[in-house]
Amino acid sequence: MDLSSALTISARGMDVQTSRLRVIAENLANQHSTGSTKGADPYRRKTITFENKLDQSLGESTVRVKQIGQDKADLPLRFDPSNPAADEAGYVKLPNVNSFTEVMDMREAQRSYSANLSVMQVTRSMLTRTIEMLK
Amino acid sequence: MTIALFDLAEKRMAWADRRQQLLAHNIANANTPHWQAHDLMPFVAVIAKANNGVMAQTQSGHMSGVGGGAVGKEAIQKASERAPDGNSVALDEQLTKVADTETTQQLVTNLYKKYLGMFRVALGRGQ
Repeated sequence: MDLSSALTISARGMDVQTSRLRVIAENLANQHSTGSTKGADPYRRKTITFENKLDQSLGESTVRVKQIGQDKADLPLRFDPSNPAADEAGYVKLPNVNSFTEVMDMREAQRSYSANLSVMQVTRSMLTRTIEMLK
Repeated sequence: MTIALFDLAEKRMAWADRRQQLLAHNIANANTPHWQAHDLMPFVAVIAKANNGVMAQTQSGHMSGVGGGAVGKEAIQKASERAPDGNSVALDEQLTKVADTETTQQLVTNLYKKYLGMFRVALGRGQ
């Protein structure tokens, strides 16, 4: 039935936004994670992409996580010879996480999540109303 | 004997169900790259097509049917704006449509119930 699969579609939509939020949390938590050995690479920002794929068991295409990748952007350098991760010249590679980007991403994830939630609530009341036609 | 109003209500509800599903798709894919928002044909167009009766036979093997499908086909919306990743879903627009679909469905179910109540009265079973 269309309405119950609409519920599943919205649920999957909420699911992927949750995964996105998890990635954002990971990025923000690691925004100061440098390497621990000489010249080691620090934490690289993770990215997440979505795709719409057919779910065989549901017979409908639903959204899902396509890939969790890494941001290839350049790592900023900071002069800090006392850091254990400093190279010969005294520079430390820092994670390429920008907290502003992450926070904006977080807002977007939240907005999409609540949109999915509203659709779910509406679908549910439509479903209830259809069932109540029997009374 | 089919009663026109019940038939019409059924079609309209099928339309609302399908539309709700499409809108759920659009909103779930609000962050999927290259996703284009879909919508159903307006119900008026669906009915007009069904009333015109004959389906187009574009090939010799096609059978002549009576009336078109009730639900109507989906169309890709012309995007008024598009995100840099090629996504054309505007959440506010989609949510307005969801609200509209819900109102429609509410109207139809209420009409259906009222009409059914009238039948009950006519049959002498009270409300």
